[in-house]
Amino acid sequence: MMTFRKNKEKGKQVAEVRASRPAVSGAEPGDGGPEGRDRPPEIKRKILVVGKGPGFTTGVMDYAANLAERLGYDIIAMSLQPSLDQAVKFFPPYNQHQRARFAQRARAAWEMAEPAFKSQGIGCEHMVRFEDLARAVKALNHEVKRIDFVITDAGITDEEITGEIPLPVFSISGYQGDQVMAQEPQAGRSKLMGKTVALGLGAAALYAAVFLNTGTIMKYFTRGGWYAALPVATVFLFSFVHGAFASNVWSLLGIEATKKVQPRVAPTRPAQRKRPRPQLRIDT
Amino acid sequence: MQDLAAQTVNFIDLNILSISFLFVVGFIGGLVSGFIGSGGAFVLTPGMMSLGVPGTVAVASNMCHKFPKAMVGAYKRWKYGQVDIKLGLVMAVSAGAGVWVGINIQEWVLAKWGQAGSNLYVSVSFVVILVIVGGYVFYDAWKTSRSGGVEKVCALAKWLQTINLPPMMHFKTANVRISMWFTIPIGFATGMLAATIAVGGFIGVPGMIYVIGASGLVASASELVIAFVMGFGGTVKWAMHGMVDIRLTLIILGGSLLGVQLGAIGTTYVKEHMIKIVMGTIMLIVAVSRALAVPTYLKDLDLLTISDSTTKVLMTASFISMCIALSVGAVIILGSMWKAKRAETAKKAGLALERSYG
Repeated sequence: MMTFRKNKEKGKQVAEVRASRPAVSGAEPGDGGPEGRDRPPEIKRKILVVGKGPGFTTGVMDYAANLAERLGYDIIAMSLQPSLDQAVKFFPPYNQHQRARFAQRARAAWEMAEPAFKSQGIGCEHMVRFEDLARAVKALNHEVKRIDFVITDAGITDEEITGEIPLPVFSISGYQGDQVMAQEPQAGRSKLMGKTVALGLGAAALYAAVFLNTGTIMKYFTRGGWYAALPVATVFLFSFVHGAFASNVWSLLGIEATKKVQPRVAPTRPAQRKRPRPQLRIDT
Repeated sequence: MQDLAAQTVNFIDLNILSISFLFVVGFIGGLVSGFIGSGGAFVLTPGMMSLGVPGTVAVASNMCHKFPKAMVGAYKRWKYGQVDIKLGLVMAVSAGAGVWVGINIQEWVLAKWGQAGSNLYVSVSFVVILVIVGGYVFYDAWKTSRSGGVEKVCALAKWLQTINLPPMMHFKTANVRISMWFTIPIGFATGMLAATIAVGGFIGVPGMIYVIGASGLVASASELVIAFVMGFGGTVKWAMHGMVDIRLTLIILGGSLLGVQLGAIGTTYVKEHMIKIVMGTIMLIVAVSRALAVPTYLKDLDLLTISDSTTKVLMTASFISMCIALSVGAVIILGSMWKAKRAETAKKAGLALERSYG
């Protein structure tokens, strides 16, 4: 796997390609060798840009755009969210809802990034997948022809880039710029506000129900024996309603986890490679 | 347990002051819990008792709020990829055994030396464990922050991980492969401490960091799983004796569910060693607080002679310092969140400016 090291100076896009053995003189990513010249002209070659989560890093997008324009390739942008893989979820309707939300956010982020490609005359499209990188790229490579290579950002770990991927993968490391991420649209915010108010009223109603009937409640809840189920069930109910309300309140106030949160640490055991990775290196 | 059940239990009358006190302490306790994986209980139980709640009702009601709070906190931190559920559950099994043994020791001490003896046993345990463990945690955090904020796996944990004693277990999120036998003493000690001083996490979290080799983030997050299991088991036990005052539980829960989520969010803003700093600070101040209460219990056992006014001053100082422990923890957490958020906002503003000129 070839790594493009970005110059640490912010804003500069100097890609340093280090190499040890020249494979094909003047070879660069995208050169398919002699067959490339025999290819029917109407099927354009493509670069697959993969973003993990609903956003794309500007560094990766800028690099992909420059490369696509130089080589005359199209771009396929893919937003991945492996944690919403159907196979690992217990509750399909909720999973479906989460997927729809993710797709909406990914689409919105793409719509912010797309104009830059269009203005440079680069054909592009966007898709959303709920699988890990290897499976998603493998599947797409079957469906769409002429994807020459993959560009990702450093949020994708080495362990995810396995021998199952039939294409070269280039991971941009170093400073990658800001995240292109859609802001929560106004409609989304009012929906959140509505949900929060509803949950708040629900929680208030539950508290009122308990504290306006303390005599009866205390009589049964402290009876012991099987009545122990009453306080236990009550706190579960309050936790779901009030817990959801509390979570929404912090979100509405803009207090959320930072983007640097990395879901799931990849295992340190190296992935089983089915075949050796291409070791193309170029001396510049 | 039969003696306790046979006693007539008085449930206190609530007023605005007691409700506000419980809500605020619940919030701060939840904030600390969400951040370091434990805490709050050691203030809530004496706090309720200072309102006139009988000891057993205070412990039972506290426990009944602890497990749903831990559940909500664990869920939130699981979404952030910090919880190692397998590690939490494996430790919870041995913690359960530890709780059982801990309660039996408590009952034996109570039967032999009465309430004062029991209080002395609890307080001495507090002081010894918190000074040793809290001191080490604080020292380690200070060392980490001096060396640039990068957490390293402790040498003991590294060594234990190399020992191949089946069954070996692999904990994915914690990124640790270790023999199951080494998780047992930590879990057991967590349970025993929970049964003794109500905060098992003061052994559990440092144990997971220094013996098993998990990071501060994963250890404090996985502790919430252990807290949930222990809290649930303990609550069922107490509720079957009719000891849970649901009014107190729900008021505390009202505050703590807000706090625990804020604490969980906070862990994503700060450097990892900050968790150790908060934990170490709280543990050391609580140790001081409990040490202030020891003379009173020695007096009750006729092992020391001090005046009644001195006793009163010491017990008040003890309670106040306990509140200070929690408040200091909260201030450090909120302060570091505030700083990190401001830095992030400034960085974004700076970038936007650069790009507009770039």
